[in-house]
Amino acid sequence: MQAESERASCQQPTRKGCACTGTGRLETAAKTVLADTPDLQDPSYLKIRDVVYQISGIYHPAEKLYLLASRCARRMTAIKAGTPAEYLDHLTVRGNREAELRLLLNEITIGETYMFRSPQQLEALRSVILPQILQAKAALGFKRLHLWSAGCSTGEEPYTLAMFLLELKETLLCGWTFDILATDLNDNSLAAARLGIYGEYALRSTSDLLRKKYFKPHDQNRLQASEELKSLLRFDRVNLNDDSKMTFLKGMDLIFCCNVLIYFDLASKRKVMQHFYANLLPGGYLFLGHAESLYQVDDRFHLVHFPGAIGYWKPPVGCVAGVKR
Amino acid sequence: MTLLDEIRPRIRALDAMPSVPAIVQPLADLLREDPDQVNLDKVVQLVSYDSTLAAQCLRMANSPLFGRRNTETVRGAVLALGIKRVEAIVLGCCLNRIVPPDKWALDALTFWRHCLGCALVSSKMARVIGYPDPEKAYLAGLLHDLGVLVNTVTCTEQYRCAIEQGRWQRVPLHVSERQLLGFTHCQSGAILARQWKFSSDVEAVIEFHHDVVKSDTARPLVALVHLSDLLCRLRDLGYGYYEAIGVDLAGDDAWSVLLESCPALAEMDLARLTMDIDGAMDEITAVVDAVFRPQAPSAR
Repeated sequence: MQAESERASCQQPTRKGCACTGTGRLETAAKTVLADTPDLQDPSYLKIRDVVYQISGIYHPAEKLYLLASRCARRMTAIKAGTPAEYLDHLTVRGNREAELRLLLNEITIGETYMFRSPQQLEALRSVILPQILQAKAALGFKRLHLWSAGCSTGEEPYTLAMFLLELKETLLCGWTFDILATDLNDNSLAAARLGIYGEYALRSTSDLLRKKYFKPHDQNRLQASEELKSLLRFDRVNLNDDSKMTFLKGMDLIFCCNVLIYFDLASKRKVMQHFYANLLPGGYLFLGHAESLYQVDDRFHLVHFPGAIGYWKPPVGCVAGVKR
Repeated sequence: MTLLDEIRPRIRALDAMPSVPAIVQPLADLLREDPDQVNLDKVVQLVSYDSTLAAQCLRMANSPLFGRRNTETVRGAVLALGIKRVEAIVLGCCLNRIVPPDKWALDALTFWRHCLGCALVSSKMARVIGYPDPEKAYLAGLLHDLGVLVNTVTCTEQYRCAIEQGRWQRVPLHVSERQLLGFTHCQSGAILARQWKFSSDVEAVIEFHHDVVKSDTARPLVALVHLSDLLCRLRDLGYGYYEAIGVDLAGDDAWSVLLESCPALAEMDLARLTMDIDGAMDEITAVVDAVFRPQAPSAR
């Protein structure tokens, strides 16, 4: 079905709802729009929810069904589908079903992203994950961390990670060096990410202190990432389906890949997961978007819960899994 | 003499709780009968006598968490919830009243959010994996932290310190209890559970939900509640403070224990269950706020 190369043609370069960045404004908007709209009791919405989950791995619990209904409403208007049942037909039995599903996924994940979208994930990194990784690496004599933002879109995620790491430089990461690989398939997104110019929306959760420390004024309404931040990032164009390139991205401690795999068919997802697994060092973690699941895609990663966040862990060889502190 | 020995007489004194409403004992006796033989009219009558109980039944019967039925009468609520669920509500109501309002060491609403969350997750997981008694799972989830109430009432000041230490060190509550009190809420809860003649499986859950493999009784139920408890604490339904833990549930001993009796656990979509918990958070909060807030709401 869809591959990442096709995603590039969706012309939605700033679409992401990932762990460090996200789409909160849209939830509010959707609630407002839906105040007098879809009948959520219509069983077709549950069927559409299941189709979306089965194909993309994006899940809407019952209480978030209104969000899905709002996205469907936009598509239904566009293709003049009169009822959710008719729209379900478009997604499942009609000739345009693959294209329509892709357009619906675009709607589901569309939205500007912003930095520091998921403080719980960063807290889990600081309190639990990094101490584990640092201890294991230090025991082997290594003092360098490698992070990868796979599908970085316009850069909010890798810049968030860069600020997060720099803030720990004098404490947890004292004596350590680190780098962040930021990749995407879309050249326009990568160009924007390299420039690192952001407006108020992208910086809405970035404190004044961090803005002053890591950004410089660009124009009246926007700030630009400092050279210190940029120096931690290496941008590259990578197609996650490209075996030859993926094979050479080894040695990662943490991989972030949010709302990218949703566009892949199952076989492609499995292949990418194989690469991610091989690219991660033992003890490393993969993070997906907050509504994404790897259920029946890959069973080698261990799903690990942290307060308010979920990560996929590659256990060290011979390690007995369990509660980790 | 250990602190646990010291508080034993105080736990015994919990038998004579003046705050437990008069209707609770006859109601509990009634509900202990064979479900087929229970006199429903008497249950409705007794529930109606107690405005808080009646309000709880109505609120829960009308919540989407329990199927939302637009019930307006106590009779409708009791019918909609079922005898087992009413029993759980009666017990929850009793327990809430054993702690005087000024003695709460944890925030009362935070505690009940955790207990109700654990009850709901236990019964939901039970249904998903084919555990044979989801209602028992609900009850066990609701009562698993009985010992927190016991500690709150019997050694309030020391317990406040233990909670503060847990918050400060970001460790699970039973860890800071062991450090500071020398025992955990599992031990003190088990004493009261035996005293109140709870069923042996619920007693085992109360005693061993932090140490599943030590339980000789009802290990699958103990394991189920242990996993639900962990999930709740990791999804913002914990004790109101950050526990710096990462948990690989499928690698936990409890997972293996539960897997032996419920093979469908291996197929459970854990990420989806987690997102369901997140989705239900607002409603759990709303139900607990409506049901357990100190001021008693009026019954219809």
